Amino acid sequence: MNLLGILLVKDLRRVARNPWPWLIHLALPLAITALVGLAFGRGGAPGTELGRIRFALVDEDDSALSRLLRGGLGQGEGGKYLEPVVLDRATALARLQANELVAVLVLPPHFTRDYLTGRGPVTLELIKNPAQSIHPAVLEELLGALVTGLNALARNLGSEFPAWRAALEEGADYRRVADLIVRTGEKLDTLRRYLDPPLIGYSREVRPGEAKSRPGLNLFGYLLVGLATMFLLFQANMVMSDLYREAAGRTFARYHTLHARLTPFLAAKGVFVAVMVLLGAAILLGGGGWLFGIRWQHPGVLALLALGYAVFAAGYTAVFAALVTEARAADALSNLVAMVLGLAGGCAFPPQALPAFLREQVTPLLPTAWLAQGIRELEFGSAAVDWPWILLRLTALGVGLLGLAAWLFRRQFARGQRI
Amino acid sequence: MSVQGLSKSFGTLRAVDNVSFAVHAGELYGLLGPNGAGKTTTLSIIAGLLRPDAGEVIMDGVRLKDDPPRARRYLGVVPQELAIYEELSARENLEFWGRLAGLSAREARIRAAELLEALALADRAREPVKTFSGGMKRRVNLGCALLHRPRLLLLDEPTVGIDPQARASLLGFVRGLQRDGTAILYTTHYLEEAETLCQRIGILDHGRLLAEGTLEQLQQRLGGDRLFVLEGDLGDAAPDTWPGFAARFRVIQRTARQLVVAARDTRDPAEYLRDLLALPVRVENVTLKRPNLNDVFLQLTGRDLRE
Repeated sequence: MNLLGILLVKDLRRVARNPWPWLIHLALPLAITALVGLAFGRGGAPGTELGRIRFALVDEDDSALSRLLRGGLGQGEGGKYLEPVVLDRATALARLQANELVAVLVLPPHFTRDYLTGRGPVTLELIKNPAQSIHPAVLEELLGALVTGLNALARNLGSEFPAWRAALEEGADYRRVADLIVRTGEKLDTLRRYLDPPLIGYSREVRPGEAKSRPGLNLFGYLLVGLATMFLLFQANMVMSDLYREAAGRTFARYHTLHARLTPFLAAKGVFVAVMVLLGAAILLGGGGWLFGIRWQHPGVLALLALGYAVFAAGYTAVFAALVTEARAADALSNLVAMVLGLAGGCAFPPQALPAFLREQVTPLLPTAWLAQGIRELEFGSAAVDWPWILLRLTALGVGLLGLAAWLFRRQFARGQRI
Repeated sequence: MSVQGLSKSFGTLRAVDNVSFAVHAGELYGLLGPNGAGKTTTLSIIAGLLRPDAGEVIMDGVRLKDDPPRARRYLGVVPQELAIYEELSARENLEFWGRLAGLSAREARIRAAELLEALALADRAREPVKTFSGGMKRRVNLGCALLHRPRLLLLDEPTVGIDPQARASLLGFVRGLQRDGTAILYTTHYLEEAETLCQRIGILDHGRLLAEGTLEQLQQRLGGDRLFVLEGDLGDAAPDTWPGFAARFRVIQRTARQLVVAARDTRDPAEYLRDLLALPVRVENVTLKRPNLNDVFLQLTGRDLRE
């Protein structure tokens, strides 16, 4: 076995004898993912993404229009996301209290009469479950859109409402109803030119190679990818801090009494970092995937990207160790820098939430963003991802940084420093 | 191994100043000096860890700077610190350093087993070093330098911080190595170790080699094997003004309560005692003793080695 192998085996044996610091570092992102994922909803059953929004519908109006709304909310496209349960107010509030529902939506008495007579803007009552955050907020947004739509309808078709009200309340024959439908339809037709074509369009192109349906956003997966990217840098820092320990413990000097060239020792540390980052990535993404029910669509590509990131992490930590000579300073600074790289790279929040300057000028330059965004887009996005380019950039940057670190270390050794 | 005109400065501090000495095969050479005397710096230069500003190290006719790998093959270095991996077992540590020294896996395994036996560590060879006592760790630290059977062993204060029993065991092992023909350069600030262990001793202070030789040769510097220690109220006494004193005695150390003098000739001790008791000061006690290395150091530097 060559020198590099002997040194690497020694380091891996040492980790195996005392794995707890490494395991704690790996457990942290999994725990944070679980906590955040659970705090923001039910999270992660495969295919359910955010899950259906289960809420109570209390119909205190009980009119034809309210019955129409009642039926419409849980059907069609709405049925994919909404799960209304029709209850009376007392039962609904009791079940909300028991955290069985996301919210209670109340259609107030005289809702239809007030709407069709134009007595004021549409009013719905929404009681949100304070123990939940995401689902009640989504429901509130949806109801906001519904109310805006009903108000717009009232403004444009208000002249037809008395006839509709009479037909609904007094009953009407088919001819009268048919006339109403035709008239209303004609009015809607005149609006069509304002609405069609819409100012903003959306179309989805399915390329032949992408005919397979992709899973939607998985909150656990989204979080795990970002946190794993950031924590793998922490892990790399911890591995490279071993170089400081070897210098302080004089094992590095002892090595130097046997070998004039120091490069193999440093190279072994770089390989050690890369191996541990790869191992960490396998545990975090593989184990985390199993734990949170994430089905990775491209495990091979993920492994390659993790390899590229491991090379980058080795280079980054080596340059850091070359620049920061004091162990205490390195301890304080290394994780701070890794955290900045992680946060600015959109590992902890969606990059869209970052300040504009950071998002547009800085984030695209960060390897943490290359990896996290690349995997997120690859696994949960719809656009094609140029992963070979990401892999190339990560690897090239890592190799470049390793070269820089080797040069810096050689210069220091030539001056008799750090031994 | 010989060291010629070795000098090394760190900024304005001259850590090693024109030091020259030689260590022969089968010889145990002690470098004695207080902390900060330049012992470890000298050893670090010989071990190839530091580049000297001037001078050279020659091992078996090979200059260290001309062929560092070859020179390194002769060397085994035992640093003052425990330069071993505490998570690994004693056997794994020995095998690892053996592999780094160029042994094959099989050679390293066999040699490690030999050393574990010789160092009385065989029964705990598989346990992590972190569970060992200080003395056992020191033995592992020593063993790690011996895998490749070095012809010159550099021992930098190998007994610091261990109990007397462990120290005796370690020194016994070192004597065995010396008897087997290994040249040993041993730094220490323990007088007793240097006196009892080393064939030749170099006294180092402020980076300079003040004297070297066998213990007897160094004692001779004080004028033989007799020192007289006078205790009493010496006050402002000026020995140089006492009639005939300077012709018979040399002052080694003088304090307000104590005067240490060496005889300049080899008369009967009783005659010296009579002379000393007749001095014009009130002497409460006079002790006759053989000079030790501390007295030599005292004479060379004016300071006590233990200070």
